[in-house]
Amino acid sequence: MPSFFRNMNSVNLATIFNNPILHRELTNRLRSNKTMLAIVAVALVSSLLVLMRWPSDASIDLVSQGAIQVFRPVAFAIAVAIMMLIPAFPATALVSERKRGTLTLLLNSPTSPATIYAGKLLGNVLLGIILFSVSLPAIFACYAMGGISISTHVIPLLLVFVGMAFQYSALGLWISSRSQSTDGSLRWTYGLVLVLVVLSIGPSVLVGKLSGLKSIIAQALTTLSPVPALQQITGAQGQSQSIGLATGWTEFLTMAALTTIGLAYATLKRLDPLQMDRAKPVGKVVEATKSGWLRRLAYLVDPQRRKASIPFWMNPVMVKEFRTRKFGRLHWLLRLVAVGGVVSLLLTVVAAMGTVNWGVERIAASMVLMQISFLLLLGPSLGANLIAAEVESGGWQLLRAAPISAWRILIGKLFSTLLTLLLLLCATLPGYVMMGYIQPALGGQVSNVLISLVIATGMVTIISACVSAFSKTTAVATATSYAILLILFAGTLLIWLGRGNPFGPVFVERALLLNPAATALAEMKTPGFETYRLIPNGWYVGLGICALGLIVLLIRTIRITRPD
Amino acid sequence: MAETVLETKELTKRYGDFLALDNLSIHVDRGQILGFIGPNGAGKTTTIKILVGLSRPTSGSASIAGVNCSENAARIKKLVGYMPDRFGSYDNMRVHEYLDFFGAIFGIRGSLRKRRIAEVMEITNTTYMQDKYVESLSHGMQQRVGIARTLLHDPEVLILDEPANGLDPKARIEMRQLLLRLAAEGKTLIVTSHILPELSRICNVVAIMTAGKLRAFGSVDEVMSKLCPQRNYEVQLASSSDLGKAESILQPMLLDTEPLTASHTECVLRFPTIRSENEMATLLRKLVAAEVPVTQYREVTSDLEDAFLSVAGSDYSSNE
Repeated sequence: MPSFFRNMNSVNLATIFNNPILHRELTNRLRSNKTMLAIVAVALVSSLLVLMRWPSDASIDLVSQGAIQVFRPVAFAIAVAIMMLIPAFPATALVSERKRGTLTLLLNSPTSPATIYAGKLLGNVLLGIILFSVSLPAIFACYAMGGISISTHVIPLLLVFVGMAFQYSALGLWISSRSQSTDGSLRWTYGLVLVLVVLSIGPSVLVGKLSGLKSIIAQALTTLSPVPALQQITGAQGQSQSIGLATGWTEFLTMAALTTIGLAYATLKRLDPLQMDRAKPVGKVVEATKSGWLRRLAYLVDPQRRKASIPFWMNPVMVKEFRTRKFGRLHWLLRLVAVGGVVSLLLTVVAAMGTVNWGVERIAASMVLMQISFLLLLGPSLGANLIAAEVESGGWQLLRAAPISAWRILIGKLFSTLLTLLLLLCATLPGYVMMGYIQPALGGQVSNVLISLVIATGMVTIISACVSAFSKTTAVATATSYAILLILFAGTLLIWLGRGNPFGPVFVERALLLNPAATALAEMKTPGFETYRLIPNGWYVGLGICALGLIVLLIRTIRITRPD
Repeated sequence: MAETVLETKELTKRYGDFLALDNLSIHVDRGQILGFIGPNGAGKTTTIKILVGLSRPTSGSASIAGVNCSENAARIKKLVGYMPDRFGSYDNMRVHEYLDFFGAIFGIRGSLRKRRIAEVMEITNTTYMQDKYVESLSHGMQQRVGIARTLLHDPEVLILDEPANGLDPKARIEMRQLLLRLAAEGKTLIVTSHILPELSRICNVVAIMTAGKLRAFGSVDEVMSKLCPQRNYEVQLASSSDLGKAESILQPMLLDTEPLTASHTECVLRFPTIRSENEMATLLRKLVAAEVPVTQYREVTSDLEDAFLSVAGSDYSSNE
């Protein structure tokens, strides 16, 4: 019997809630101002959504459509809050304990790995429950408006939230148990949450009518996402079925339970002290003459080749940033660019061949969403590392003691992220070129889309760097950056989802001005965005945010660089 | 005449109501090693931060090679090689890349940088680890790489915060030899350490600080004679049965300031004293005349630890 299953028999409900790890995790989280801020924000947003739609006259809504129209955005808003806030804590829980050396202390104590894991998992799930509990008054306000049932709406919704909390906590802990750094863990966790929520419904939505085993697999994948479940609960199942989503909340809960159990098993295996007994990689250099042709093919830029000296005309801080991040090393980037290029070309070729009746606009929308996903997945992690990681590792003190100006440090750091993200954007250029060739009239629109995406890149970089400059630890900086950027990019799209009810067209358009992705989608006349004219105002807002962020960042960098 | 390289005059630093540094005045000559001694919170790091241009004094001045540390921080950064108590490593960076990065940061160009990296790796005996990842190195190896980094731009003054901290005995000996070699090459070193016997072996000058105040400053001998004027004497006897007899002879001759203690297990009598050599000879003669079997009659040399404890102890008791 593996060591982590020892003492499992003695685990009962009382011991679970007397778990010291659970107490510590929960109290530590609740003591944090950031947690309090998140709870207050969820309460405020859900209350505001109800207030905006609360009937102002004495008329009776006989069909009770008003309640469901409020209930839907409230449900989706809380779901987005859970997606953004719940994974952050477990994603750093084990990796930061390991880096601090406290995981060894815990594993050397009589507390079993299962108890440690249960404490961390339940601590985070309870935090999630507290988080969405504050929106209960808003949910019950919808119930009071009529047309909402406790058994078919409220209870299933709360169960889906609990399922999400379990699933994302287990996922975060699993990634955390495998990661070497907190920012890497956060990046992978948010990436996989995105895969679970959005990409899992991709095959059913994008490919459409499937049959046989493919259909079963595609439907099984959709049960990983809470979106069909939320659609069913909020009375929009008809819409879901029309786009190929046939599953509901019971299927989601079953899948959430299965994935949680599977991830818990995998994490507990990783918590076996014998599994953790590994030597640090010391580094190995492959001499140029010894590189085989296969290695040269696999690595255009070989990470194990000795690096050349930093040339005098390059910003050394920028070069250092590229060299010290595992993911930022060029061989990874080039692979990602290559994958992006191939995908964008395939999409365009598929459209050109008429294999699927999508049209160029829809292809362009897919490419914009792909690029924004790349940006949101990598940008916050890279940007949030810039200053917080340096302060955390003690490197900032060395930079301060060196004859290099704050401006040069800042430029080096910003460009290291900006260039990485722009390189990723370039991945879809072949697709756009092909698109312009197929439909030459799109040339102007494509240029506007590219400008919007460049502005989005600037916003992601500068906002994450700003957060980094005000944070003392990388984990906090990364999680905060993800939260802010998701609010900006996904939150505004959530407002767009509530267009008509409860949000009016002017409010929606103003909210979308904050989101350069929406500007790009509107420019490509993506379905649902045709009515919005976001250029050039969206650009001005984006550039304004960049300029303001840059000023704040510069002032902060000068402040933390100059003598105390 | 020795050339003064580092000088502070009435250096004071306040953080709000808290006085971190109080009128510190010291000077160090070229090629000397200054040992900075003090308990945690004594003001050592504050002084170092002012010297390397990372902090500004509230009043007073500090200069290195005639350059004011707070007015000309950019020049100071080129004159000083600073190794903080935290190493400041980067992930996924090899030792050679690490040194190359700091070489570029200090504006050392092209072939000169390559040559300097090779030289400092040679001096610090780190050439063999140039392809290893910095974070994979042991603490002792990282400390050597840290010194290599501080030497890159060939500074006049090296300021090393706790360089021997956490090192094993072999690494500590290597570190000591390295610092002595650097001093012999004309570098001026300022070293803080909690391992006081280590400092007494390498330092020409020591500065003992507590609560932001300089308690003693000068060569090790000067500080010792100032802080430990009393000498400790031990009388070793052949058998513990003779301890009583010896005690009865010595006790009437000693003053209240010379308390006599006896260790039966070691057969030793101990007492501190400020008596001259002749007076000590008289005591010995009395013991021998009384046929006390004295096997050894010796002075136990005091070290920096005693000096530090005499200052720190009085400081703590005055605080109480």
